Amino acid sequence: MLSFIGRSIIQKIITLVFVMVISFLIIHLAPGEPSQVDPLNPKFTPEMVERFRKAFHLDEPLHIQFVYFYRDLFTGKTVSWKDNEPVLKKIWGRFLNSLPLFIVGTILMWTLAFPVGIHSAIFRGGTYDRSATFLSYFLISIPGFFFAYILILLVVNTFHVPVIGMRTFGLGETSWLRIIMDRTWHLLLPSLLGATGGIAVLSRYVRSQMLEVESQDYVRTARAKGLPQEQVHYKHALRNALLPFVTMFGLILPALIGGSVIIESIFSWPGMGRMAFEAILARDYPIILTVNFISAVLVLAGTFISDLLYMVVDPRIRL
Amino acid sequence: MTVRRILIGVPIVLIIFLLQAYFWVPTYEQQTKGNPQRLTEYITASIGDASILNPILSADSASSDIEAMVFEGLIDRDEELRFRGRLAESWEIHEEAFFYVNEEAAIPQVGTANAHEVLELLRRVKGGDIPTNAAVKASLDNIREITVIPARSFMVTRGEKKAELKINVTAPPRIKLVLNQVDQDLFQNLSTILGKGYFSSFDGGSYLQADQDIGKNKMLEYAQEILPAIEHNPIVVFRLRPNVKFHDGHLFDAHDVRFTYEAIMDPKNLSPRIADYEPVKSVEVVDPLTVRICYKRLYSPALSTWGIGILPERLLNAEALKKEAIARGKDPERFTMRQSSFNRRPIGCGPFVFEEWKSDQYITLKRFTEYWEGPPNYKQYIYRIIPDPLTQEMEFYAGTVDSYAVQPHQVQRLKNDPTYQNFSGLSFGYTYIGYNMRREPFNDPRVRRALSMAIDVDKIIRYVLYGQGERITGPFVKQTDYYDHRIKPIPYDPQGALKLLAEAGWKRNKDGWLEKNGKRLQFTLITNKGNNLRNAILATAQDAWKQIGIDVRTDVLEWAVFIQERVDKADFDAVVLGWQMGVEPDLYQIWHSSQTHHYQLNFVAFENKEADNLIIKIRQEYDHKQQVAYCHRLHEIIAKEQPYTFLYVSKWTAVLDKRIVIKETDAEGNVVYKKITPTKTGNYTFHFNKWIKLPEAPAFSAER
Repeated sequence: MLSFIGRSIIQKIITLVFVMVISFLIIHLAPGEPSQVDPLNPKFTPEMVERFRKAFHLDEPLHIQFVYFYRDLFTGKTVSWKDNEPVLKKIWGRFLNSLPLFIVGTILMWTLAFPVGIHSAIFRGGTYDRSATFLSYFLISIPGFFFAYILILLVVNTFHVPVIGMRTFGLGETSWLRIIMDRTWHLLLPSLLGATGGIAVLSRYVRSQMLEVESQDYVRTARAKGLPQEQVHYKHALRNALLPFVTMFGLILPALIGGSVIIESIFSWPGMGRMAFEAILARDYPIILTVNFISAVLVLAGTFISDLLYMVVDPRIRL
Repeated sequence: MTVRRILIGVPIVLIIFLLQAYFWVPTYEQQTKGNPQRLTEYITASIGDASILNPILSADSASSDIEAMVFEGLIDRDEELRFRGRLAESWEIHEEAFFYVNEEAAIPQVGTANAHEVLELLRRVKGGDIPTNAAVKASLDNIREITVIPARSFMVTRGEKKAELKINVTAPPRIKLVLNQVDQDLFQNLSTILGKGYFSSFDGGSYLQADQDIGKNKMLEYAQEILPAIEHNPIVVFRLRPNVKFHDGHLFDAHDVRFTYEAIMDPKNLSPRIADYEPVKSVEVVDPLTVRICYKRLYSPALSTWGIGILPERLLNAEALKKEAIARGKDPERFTMRQSSFNRRPIGCGPFVFEEWKSDQYITLKRFTEYWEGPPNYKQYIYRIIPDPLTQEMEFYAGTVDSYAVQPHQVQRLKNDPTYQNFSGLSFGYTYIGYNMRREPFNDPRVRRALSMAIDVDKIIRYVLYGQGERITGPFVKQTDYYDHRIKPIPYDPQGALKLLAEAGWKRNKDGWLEKNGKRLQFTLITNKGNNLRNAILATAQDAWKQIGIDVRTDVLEWAVFIQERVDKADFDAVVLGWQMGVEPDLYQIWHSSQTHHYQLNFVAFENKEADNLIIKIRQEYDHKQQVAYCHRLHEIIAKEQPYTFLYVSKWTAVLDKRIVIKETDAEGNVVYKKITPTKTGNYTFHFNKWIKLPEAPAFSAER
């Protein structure tokens, strides 16, 4: 066990170093320049562009830039080129904005996917199962941005209430309850949209897991000894079907920082995904690389946690 | 069974909780009717966030939108695009001109002359003792004062610290002329009196003595710089408005103007506007309410640069920055205005006071009650960042945005809705197809003209722009005087195009392709990815040209590749692109023949002697009428040469709730409501400070 943890950590650190080098190279070798050194703005003379390059260390060789960047990152001194704000502070602020979206989305996803999937498995082949299957594939295949637009158009045109952003603007002085409810309303659509794909996929998993477990000998035994159907399904079958999902918790971690670029951009939600996306468009290297680095760390930590969880919940696995 | 109940119960409760939130959110009508405070707030939407709220440092449109509200410049433009005073009450432009006395040159009928003889001669001619032609007389009448600056010796140093070069200068006497008005033809006219070669034969090099041998060419370069034979120094004197306050309460004065200029020129600040102020020689504070700005040379677009927001010196000078650096634990040596927190909570003397900025969410401003022109009607100005045009429209319907940039296809939907009023006007820019004139067959003007004739631009405007555009024939902003409306657009005429091409030697072969000396007329038209309008134009042009037998390929490239690899390196046949223009008619960077190198903006390599001359004259002319005449001629040349196929200038449209009106108080103190109307140049927000939203849309008796 301990040797596994030690080995795993060393491996992950090596992977991380590779990620650092490769992501740095990709971003610097990709065409395009930071918007501050955009040569097509007639106001920018070549001397100015040169001075900007110098201020951003862009005139140094790549390996020096690499050292500069990661030195600044580990000492917490990296600043965004766009507005000179410290990158970590910016990311933290955005993370807090994305967090409610992520939490509500995840809760919706996990609470809805299970009943839908279990019900499908129990009444396998029935009308409910078929329509659930159809709906799942429909939701998986519909493009997220399109679905989002359709929903927004529908809600705004029928109910005439705002849905974009984190809150209603121009609400004025009003009670705290109203403010909370207003924020909840603004959370509804984006988190629902963020969860739809997940619900569809996850409910499929639940269904197939349940079916697999239901055909096991011990479930048949439970039925044979005359236990009530409900107890068979929810106690004997479900518990065992849950096993693989426990490990999925570890993999949620990276989704925390990734956010959802499309949903956040459409709903003008000031979250992580949108910030990263806009940083890419403006070639704001410090932000792109920092987000990249943090998400790499989280992916590695996530897989590590899910390995550990697997060991804990499934006694058959020994590493 | 509890597990089952929980599994079904939890999601149902959660969803019910989320859905009931709907009942707490106000609808469009409730927002205005149920909340009087909302009527005093103006909410607008932008695609992008601001980056740095400092007028001398920002280069993006979102930042300048906010800066226009928070800061105030010395001057701006009125309804007719003429300059009007803001922080400056008035201003006056005159000129000081200088030339060195050329003691070797022979003056007609006089011979060689020293400084006093030249002075005497000029005075006599000015006095009318010697007859001259009208142009020269006008130039002379314009001279207010003639004086002699005696000869003097001084030393200058040039070069790097290690290889410093000392130059001893024994400057000859110099004549100083003070002119009532700027006169770019002054020296040309004086040379009819002093002799043709009087100025050009002045050899500045013979008055210099360097301590090292640096070669003749280098020496001449220094002579040009240190002892220029002639020099124009236009001078602008601004009288500033008294008792104007910054938002923090301290008074604005001439030192703030000088400080703003110095901050721009400070290389540490990396100001993107440094090039605009490079022609400035000095900014002097004459008294707290007078600034005198002296220029190194004739450069008429310079006046408009004083529209820049004036910074408060007290908060940003070296001392203040040092204090801030120490307070924040930064190295004061490396701490510049760029790092200052001022850029995230700016203080100016504009109509609105900065309040709060949440990145990628909103910027809020509140009105400045002590604004010199009277406070705006709106109490709050909110600038929301909504990156998607469709959701901007949805927020507009939901009432949480009062205005947004309407897309051409959305205009039709909103035009007939009785709830809204709409305005439209031409934008300051145009879209074109540019031809690389370094390459065959584009070096032939007939081919370029034929290519223009083959495209049905009206159709593009109708179907691609939904009618939200107008044709354009030349490089000036269409709603300014500089644009010559007499020049007619090139008609759609494919047959005429074929005739022109035949003249140029391109004939149709049996497959229908145009051919010359066995070579097919073939080229590639490129544009950038992500701009749907340009892509549609690309396809339309390709189709139109194919129909007359030109083998056109197209390529759509990612922006960075498009600009850096193709446009900057002049590696293209033809491009679809657009220019954003300012009001000033200075076309030097885009059309002057000296700007055709890689990474410069005349990437189509347009070269025309007369055009070059006109471009220089336009930027040196301070008289509006004369400038307009030059511009019309330049417009004509460019339209004739067709280095671009000028396609269209797009229209913008704005939609507002009808309840937003102009509120004014007349002389008797009665409140008068007026309908919002755009100015002649199409600026509907010109009277923004007088706008207000009413609970009910008023009925205007004289509704036009």
